[in-house]
Amino acid sequence: MAEPELLLDSNIRLWVVLPIVFITFLVGVIRHYVSILLQSDKKLTLEQVSDSQVLIRSRILRENGKYIPKQSYLMRKFYFNNQEDGFFKKTKRKVVPPSPMTDPSMLTDMMKGNVTNVLPMILIGGWINWTFSGFVTTKVPFPLTLRFKPMLQQGIELLSLDASWVSSASWYFLNVFGLRSMYSLILGQDNGADQSRIMQDQMSGAAMAMPADTNKAFKAEWEALELTDHQWALENVEEDLMSTDLDYCGMFSRELPTGIF
Amino acid sequence: MASVSELYDVTWEDMRDKLRKWRDENYRNSEQIVDVGEELINEHSSKLGDDIWIIYEQVMIAALDCCRDDLAWSCLQELKRQFPDSHRVKRLAGMRLEALERYDDANKLYDSILQDDQTNTAARKRKISILKAQGKTAEAIRELNEYLEQFVGDQEAWHELSELYINEHDYAKAAFCLEELMMTNPHNHLYCEQYAEVKYTQGGMDNLDLARKYFAQALKLNNRNMRALFGLYMSASHLAASPKVSAKVKKDNVKYAAWAASQINRAYQLAGRGTKESKCSMKAVEEMLESMQITMS
Repeated sequence: MAEPELLLDSNIRLWVVLPIVFITFLVGVIRHYVSILLQSDKKLTLEQVSDSQVLIRSRILRENGKYIPKQSYLMRKFYFNNQEDGFFKKTKRKVVPPSPMTDPSMLTDMMKGNVTNVLPMILIGGWINWTFSGFVTTKVPFPLTLRFKPMLQQGIELLSLDASWVSSASWYFLNVFGLRSMYSLILGQDNGADQSRIMQDQMSGAAMAMPADTNKAFKAEWEALELTDHQWALENVEEDLMSTDLDYCGMFSRELPTGIF
Repeated sequence: MASVSELYDVTWEDMRDKLRKWRDENYRNSEQIVDVGEELINEHSSKLGDDIWIIYEQVMIAALDCCRDDLAWSCLQELKRQFPDSHRVKRLAGMRLEALERYDDANKLYDSILQDDQTNTAARKRKISILKAQGKTAEAIRELNEYLEQFVGDQEAWHELSELYINEHDYAKAAFCLEELMMTNPHNHLYCEQYAEVKYTQGGMDNLDLARKYFAQALKLNNRNMRALFGLYMSASHLAASPKVSAKVKKDNVKYAAWAASQINRAYQLAGRGTKESKCSMKAVEEMLESMQITMS
């Protein structure tokens, strides 16, 4: 269905579209540096460090146990999994679920996260809506239903206008999410301006309380270790080795490095 | 005395990159580091930017090795000025005290670091090396065991413990430490070879069998490991010569020993080609192999 194309004033492009892009980008960069300044040091306790290393050791035992003799492997497996006093059976850590109320550092972290991310977005979104209101900014390339009209066309009261034509506020929100890849290009991975990642973290953070995990992690390791067997990788190593001559290529080259450079 | 850059005709960037390579690969060539680093610090400090701090640390440790207390002190002063409350700098100050043999002062310093930060591994390791320097090996072993109980993943510490046990002739425990290292670094031929040597030293038929297997593994990981090749030859011929083994085991080991001997000969041939002494050295190798052959019944 051919519809009459609206021709927008090119001033809109110059004075609305581009400034909004710049504003969004600069605000993102500023957010990144502010988040670095406000970052608090995470202090780990000795027990946490020790537990994480024990879990790593058990995992390595499962994966690379085949490189050590069978006796040694069984000795270590016994140390971890023994019924009466194996490490995983015996150690129970005190579990304190870190709810925001009891853990003051988590509370301040949450607050800082909110201040640096959500607040500017709301403020600037509102300011842009107020400044650049009353006209159409751009057209999204795909057709939208009429239900999107009040959301995307704030300030434009035209019943017959196609919902694809959007106002500057929606252009702003498009930018916030679209510039994410630009941020990783310029600020490197893991930057503080990456909002959607932070929102993802907030959602999964509630499900992933680290200290409470330790007991569950121990149990999971215990099960995994019970199931693994020892397949010695060195059964036929001599036969494999002696099937061909040793490769001495380049071993006795004339050029020996001398001196510092 | 000509400076390093004049002697080798290199720019300051080459020197900085060389220092970085030595840092990344954990070299301990302290005299060279002191020569290159001192010149870099004295002549080109303004051009280095933020790299200078890590170079100060590297040069300071090398200066302590070479007994250059003047250089170490100046590096330490610069670092203290820039990072006044840093634990890392405090550890360097402790190392300097150790170099001056003021062990009590060093211990006090490390204790203060640990009071502040319980998880600081560097300070604990320095305390253990103080015990080692004072010759108190048994205490060092005990402290290192406690350290490893909490920080099971520290490979440097496992290696140090294995070395201490070897010095105390406690080969079984040294083998345990080396097993940890082999598990975390399955492709490192040096750990396999060291483990095999410890097993060979322990002696006994089972251990010799294990030793032979791990020498073979080390060779498989790195074909040029001559030490492992000789180890393979010795353990195989030892097993073959022993009266207590079955005929099949003896036959296998004779085969392994013969193969190892042929590879050794090949290596010496390759090494000696083009030189006049090759004939003499080949003969020497053959004689040596003959003499190592424990007479087989």
